[in-house]
Amino acid sequence: MEEKRQITAIQTAAIIVSTIIGVGVLPLPLFAVRAGDSAAPLVTLLGMLLAICGLALIAWLGMRFPNQSIIQYSEAIIGKIPAWLGSLLIIVFFAVLTSLAAREFGEVVVTSVLKRTPVEVTVIVMLLLAAISTRKNITTFAYLHHFYFPLLLFPGILIVFLSLKNADVINLQPAFTTGSPGIWAGVLTIAALFQGSFILTMVIPAMRRPERAMIASMGGLALAGGLYVAIVAAAVSVFGAEEIKKLLWPTLELAKATSLPANVLERLDAAFLAVWVTAVFTTLLSSHFLTVRATAHLFRMDDHKLFSFFLLPVVFVMAMLPQNIVQMYDIIEIVGRFGLSITILYPGLLLLISIFRKKRGDVS
Amino acid sequence: MFKTVSLALVLSMAVPLLTGCWDRLELEERAVVLGVSIDVAGEEAEAEESEVSHVEGSLPLPDHAMVRVGVQIALPGRIPLGPGESGGGKGDSSQTVWVIDVVGHSIDDAFMNLQQQVSSKLFFGHLRVIVISEALARRGMDNVNDYFRRNAEVRRMAWMIVSKGKALDLMKAAPKLERVPTLYLMSTLDEGVKLGKFPEDYIGIYWSHSSKKGQEGFLPYVQMKKEQNVEVSGLAYFRSDKMVGATQPIEIAGYLGLKGINPAGYRSFINVANNSFVSAATQRRSSIKLEIRNGVPHFRIEVALEVNIEEKIKQEAHITPEVIRLIQQKQEKNSTLFYENMLKKTQEKGSDIFGFGERVRAKKPGYWNSEIKTKEAWQRMYKDVTFDIVVAVNVRRIGAKAL
Repeated sequence: MEEKRQITAIQTAAIIVSTIIGVGVLPLPLFAVRAGDSAAPLVTLLGMLLAICGLALIAWLGMRFPNQSIIQYSEAIIGKIPAWLGSLLIIVFFAVLTSLAAREFGEVVVTSVLKRTPVEVTVIVMLLLAAISTRKNITTFAYLHHFYFPLLLFPGILIVFLSLKNADVINLQPAFTTGSPGIWAGVLTIAALFQGSFILTMVIPAMRRPERAMIASMGGLALAGGLYVAIVAAAVSVFGAEEIKKLLWPTLELAKATSLPANVLERLDAAFLAVWVTAVFTTLLSSHFLTVRATAHLFRMDDHKLFSFFLLPVVFVMAMLPQNIVQMYDIIEIVGRFGLSITILYPGLLLLISIFRKKRGDVS
Repeated sequence: MFKTVSLALVLSMAVPLLTGCWDRLELEERAVVLGVSIDVAGEEAEAEESEVSHVEGSLPLPDHAMVRVGVQIALPGRIPLGPGESGGGKGDSSQTVWVIDVVGHSIDDAFMNLQQQVSSKLFFGHLRVIVISEALARRGMDNVNDYFRRNAEVRRMAWMIVSKGKALDLMKAAPKLERVPTLYLMSTLDEGVKLGKFPEDYIGIYWSHSSKKGQEGFLPYVQMKKEQNVEVSGLAYFRSDKMVGATQPIEIAGYLGLKGINPAGYRSFINVANNSFVSAATQRRSSIKLEIRNGVPHFRIEVALEVNIEEKIKQEAHITPEVIRLIQQKQEKNSTLFYENMLKKTQEKGSDIFGFGERVRAKKPGYWNSEIKTKEAWQRMYKDVTFDIVVAVNVRRIGAKAL
């Protein structure tokens, strides 16, 4: 069981960043604008703060139990049966999250690039790629993320900067909203886009110095969140809030409206989609890895490889369940908000009880 | 061993799917649409149309007047690349592009009718110019905007223009400067932006403007001249999705000046000291301040223009500091009046193309939320808005002549 503890703090941060940046960047400004109009960047910021709280809980728990994942230490904290239930919820939730991300990816590809390819094919190819990659151990997993992380981050930043040429500050004002009731639902939806960061609980037991988990995860989340806020601010300042409400994937439109200087590329959406496919891959990789690894831990197995392909058909079938794209986005919003109770409330509860019962993992 | 083989099997299954060959489409099989024109179709259209996306009885027609859509399709191999071959059009546009027009009950219906007649698949990724006839623009643009926004191939950097008269004529025109007619249309506008003759107003910008609650969209208003060249003859301004008026060409300068957009590119006559001078603006600056006066937004607009003297009609009256001062004063007075008239014109139509309403929404959110809130309310309110305009003109240069 004991794997070598090789993952560094920077790799942990890279895992968090490339896991978070995923399929959700495309509709992100739409979610934010629906909730807060011109205050959309503020809504995103609030969502990010909520996500930071959730991740801090997981990092804290992980540092109390540096040799175990949430599946294992929850048993020590609340007893076998309740922990088993909680773990099952985590597994099911992340399997659903994987399937929805894959389906959303398929829908974008069918709408804007490969119009004649059946959505099933795009989805299954992406899931297969992720499943094959999850058969490696966690060190390889960390290297994969570390390798792709700059490829995701820098093009994202580049598009934000280039698009600012067409920006108008008036679109971002008033920056504070008058507190319409919809804003909190929007904050939850956006916080839900950060849920992939839950992968941290699997990474900590393999970190070389688990005590640095907190700083690494906060850094990673701040970086990804910063990019998210920047993307929303750029989209709103270029299009204006009302126009974004009419666009299904405002970030893609932003790339379409942005050109490289000197007409090298007149529209960046093709380049952006290429980067985005990688981003989706790393996200799927993480959430599927989390699912299979949690399942392995639940059944006290040393090796999670078995489940990579075993769970794949289930995930695929779930991905095909939404009947149309409108229904899919409704499901994504509902599942995402519900998931916050698994990724924030549940760890919070565990942490409280563990402090109360003075439970700690053995420090090796 | 088994592992390697099974992995190889999985990979060999995945690779054909990953290459994207499913959507393979050879270049020659693609009908690359470069330009689209949309007109209101006349009485004869109903008879001309075949039943492609509707049929008597089971798939009924929409309750919508018909349109005539013309397209310019690039002929593969006919568009000469590089400087080797002689440039310029050869009299008509049939050399490099194929112009076809069809009728339909909606934009998509028309394109489907067209697809029925053209073998290759229509491709809109290189669509550069969409020409709308004035009659259609006045009838309403909702259908046009919806179709092109929904189509993921269309770029937001394409131009949409409103033509005086039939839009189809612009598709058929063959200007001598460019090999591809639509590229000429496009470069007319792109160069206009660079010369300070026209604001940047791509289709995406037009969409954003018309979506905003406190702003209306506008499009270039063009007219075909006798040499098949195209004159940018003003701004076609909208109220919601309907065109409500068009400005004069010089009034584009009014828009640019009020918005402080650079570079400046318009000239105007100044009559002082028994002589006439032509001044050319080079730089514009503007600042807009907003306050609420008696429950109505009041804007104070300060415009600063840097100008050069470009021409003098008569020989007498040397350009002295005194004359320059007179010119500045005169142009300040003229411009103030000119801007006021232009604002008044848009106010009468309730079409706020300058986005004053957006300023109210952004800077006075309390007032906006209690008094205005919707686009329609701002269209009504805009008629009552008051303005103070202050223009400062500075003559900087007089060219290479000393007097």
